[in-house]
Amino acid sequence: MTLRHLARAVLRRLLGALAVLFGAATIAFVALHLVPGDPVTVMLGPGSPATPEVKAQIRAQYGLDQPVFAQYLHYLGRLLHGDLGESYQLQRPVADVIGEQLGSTVQLALAAVLVAVVLAVLGALATAGRRRLPRALVGLAELLAVSSPSYWIGILLLTAFSFQLRIFPVAGDEGLPALVLPALTLALPLAGVLGQVLREGLEAALGQPFVLTARSRGLGEGAVLLRHALRHAAVPAVTLAGWLTGSLLGGAVLVETVFGRPGIGALSLQGTTNKDMPLVIGLVLLSALVFVLISTVVDLLYLVIDPRLRSG
Amino acid sequence: MSRTGPRSLTLLAAVTAGVLLLAACGGTGTKTTASGTDGGKPVQGGSLTYATDTEPISFDIHVSQQDATGAIQRNVFDSLVHQDAKGDFQPWLATSWDIAPDFTSYTFHLRPGVKFTDGTPFDANAVKVNFDRIVAKDTKSQYAASLLGPYTGSQVIDAQTVKVSFSKPFAPFLQAASTAYLGFYSPKAIAENGTKLGQGGPVDVGTGPFIFSSYTKGQSAVFTRNPDYDWAPKDAAHQGPAYLDKLTVRFLTEDSVRVGALQSGQVQVADPIPPADVKSVQGDSRLRTVSTQAPGANYALVLNTTKTPLNDPLVRQAVQRGIDVDTDVKSVYFGVNQRAWSPLSPTTPDYDKSLENSWPYDPALANKDLDQAGWTGRDAQGYRTKDGQRLTLEWPLPPAEYVREQRDTLGQAIQADLKKVGIEVTRPRQDIGTYIANTYGGKEAIADYSWARFDPDVLRLYFNSASSPATGGENATFYQDSQLDTWTNTGEATLDAATRQDVYGKTQQRAIDLGLIVPLYVRTDVVGATSQVHGLTADPNTWLNFHDAWLAK
Repeated sequence: MTLRHLARAVLRRLLGALAVLFGAATIAFVALHLVPGDPVTVMLGPGSPATPEVKAQIRAQYGLDQPVFAQYLHYLGRLLHGDLGESYQLQRPVADVIGEQLGSTVQLALAAVLVAVVLAVLGALATAGRRRLPRALVGLAELLAVSSPSYWIGILLLTAFSFQLRIFPVAGDEGLPALVLPALTLALPLAGVLGQVLREGLEAALGQPFVLTARSRGLGEGAVLLRHALRHAAVPAVTLAGWLTGSLLGGAVLVETVFGRPGIGALSLQGTTNKDMPLVIGLVLLSALVFVLISTVVDLLYLVIDPRLRSG
Repeated sequence: MSRTGPRSLTLLAAVTAGVLLLAACGGTGTKTTASGTDGGKPVQGGSLTYATDTEPISFDIHVSQQDATGAIQRNVFDSLVHQDAKGDFQPWLATSWDIAPDFTSYTFHLRPGVKFTDGTPFDANAVKVNFDRIVAKDTKSQYAASLLGPYTGSQVIDAQTVKVSFSKPFAPFLQAASTAYLGFYSPKAIAENGTKLGQGGPVDVGTGPFIFSSYTKGQSAVFTRNPDYDWAPKDAAHQGPAYLDKLTVRFLTEDSVRVGALQSGQVQVADPIPPADVKSVQGDSRLRTVSTQAPGANYALVLNTTKTPLNDPLVRQAVQRGIDVDTDVKSVYFGVNQRAWSPLSPTTPDYDKSLENSWPYDPALANKDLDQAGWTGRDAQGYRTKDGQRLTLEWPLPPAEYVREQRDTLGQAIQADLKKVGIEVTRPRQDIGTYIANTYGGKEAIADYSWARFDPDVLRLYFNSASSPATGGENATFYQDSQLDTWTNTGEATLDAATRQDVYGKTQQRAIDLGLIVPLYVRTDVVGATSQVHGLTADPNTWLNFHDAWLAK
């Protein structure tokens, strides 16, 4: 890959990222304006004692009395300056609110991905092409993990390890012990899906001629799996892992709520419940950005895993 | 709307019980004991963690309309007057007051020596700055401004004397002034951080027994003792600073997690304990519960009297008598919440006890009413018809996040009851925008809500024809009745106990007689605490007072 190729690829990516962000911003703006009802009334909730004058004041302050298209242009203009606006409800700049809560979620997501990958790889390696019983047991566990709601998994883990055994604290972002249960809750369904895909990939690879060649050179079963089959099975698993990582935000909503942790998930829930438009749009942009970043990382990982893709 | 919901116009005072933590008492009744006497001599120090289910959106007491904001910030903000357990007004930040005979002005003589936790003295100027801030347009107060009613301004007479004036008689002001929403920020905090007070944390400077030291959104708020605090109301269990060094409020929205955290001792107080868990908490020897019935308007069906078929009083009575409220409430709330008989809860001043058992479940009467109203036909599904039209009432469900206390489950029982007398109740799920527009716009047959408020004036909010939803009122019956108007207006404009009891009693009776409302249950707030916790009391709003709370070693 020449430098020019690389530069062009990076440029294309950047333009793509901008397009994705623009699209996400526009869709979020349109979606929030399609919500029926007066935005200020919705924001204040049913039966608010706020007088019509107070509502008018709120409407004027946030420019909600302007035509929708003017609001959209104003909003895009602000975005171009990197200004995400101020949350209606929290009386604070959206960027600050998100910035404060981001670390907690990133920590949770990274821990979850790490745990999920380790569990999936171990599970798949231990069972691919092996005897029926262990394979069936691990498969069943994976299926359970995939099909159980993370909300339920979280409550079960809490009941066992926090309320009964009292090993981990109930919740909150207070150091490593408090991270274990939420990360595990988020990781288990992820590990289930990844494990299944990885094992199938491994088993498909084990039937390939190159495995026969390797074995005929006298390689042990473990070495065959690790050095040859795993690399083969990794491409679909990495694609999937990337996508799953991007979708962790959805899982974080539940996990952060159950565990009483600060974070983007809990913030999203609050933002949408209160129809806090600037906050919701800020969060949508953030998740679009995360998807763009992750897909870039996944593309790069392909190059690492499969040398054939490097030409070009 | 109850716990999380907005609070209505606050008005005059009266009775309730400041309820104490009782050692593992059964049942739902409230019991009062002398505070501070349980468990021996109070212990100074310690750190208490309190888990609650609602995180305030804004911590600004002058802006927020949330119960949660008032409940938590009560620890940080004091009021001019204190409303005691009997409903009388006691000195607090004001040592005495003079009320103009026509209720258009109140002159407060302020307690000397009070200072905010940033060192600023609390004086007449502080009162003026705070009240002026509340009514300022830019504050966008969603609730407190309504508590100040026809406020025209405050006049600083001298440092310790302030005169608060109104454009017309405003009898409810003392009660309003006793709420946390008319509490006082340090004028310095308002000047420096006026637009940031909603964020919580150290910017929120008050005179209260606790200092708001930090806030982590989504997780917790931490309060530390105000060491200089020496101006608790006279009927507090003790004077001087709070016993606790530190109070942490954890936001645990999941019921099972909150209860589990209490049972495993990770938090010392949990509020509320959901009805399904009350028995197991009470059965645990390491835990205690304290139950307080919420004041104000009970959770009720509010019937829209302006649309067919509920414009017919006979149909409204059929709905009232065709619901087996006793059985439904008992089975959904495990006996924790009592069924309601009046629009007002029993802990609200001027509650009319004579309404109890006056309109029991009577499906035979409901059927007779409907026959008489001409709904005599039956369709294939067994629902009544008239002129080929089915007897259908639409009662929309808001999105799940607005449904509290399993009211949707209770709704299913009500649907089943009314089906037995031939009334179809449909419950379309609506997005919140549509829900508000339709329900408060008079397009639906039935609305449902409660309204926490330690004052019978909530009846004016519900039944006065001037209290239309379009102007921030709650009269979703849309009924126009000169008697209800006269009575509720009279009650609002007087402090005379006999008059108030008379007009509010009549209002409750008439609202039931006219079939405007079907009261369903009285919410009981059950708080769980570990046996280590002593001296914890709940005020009439069911808010916990941590100033007198202490932890046994």
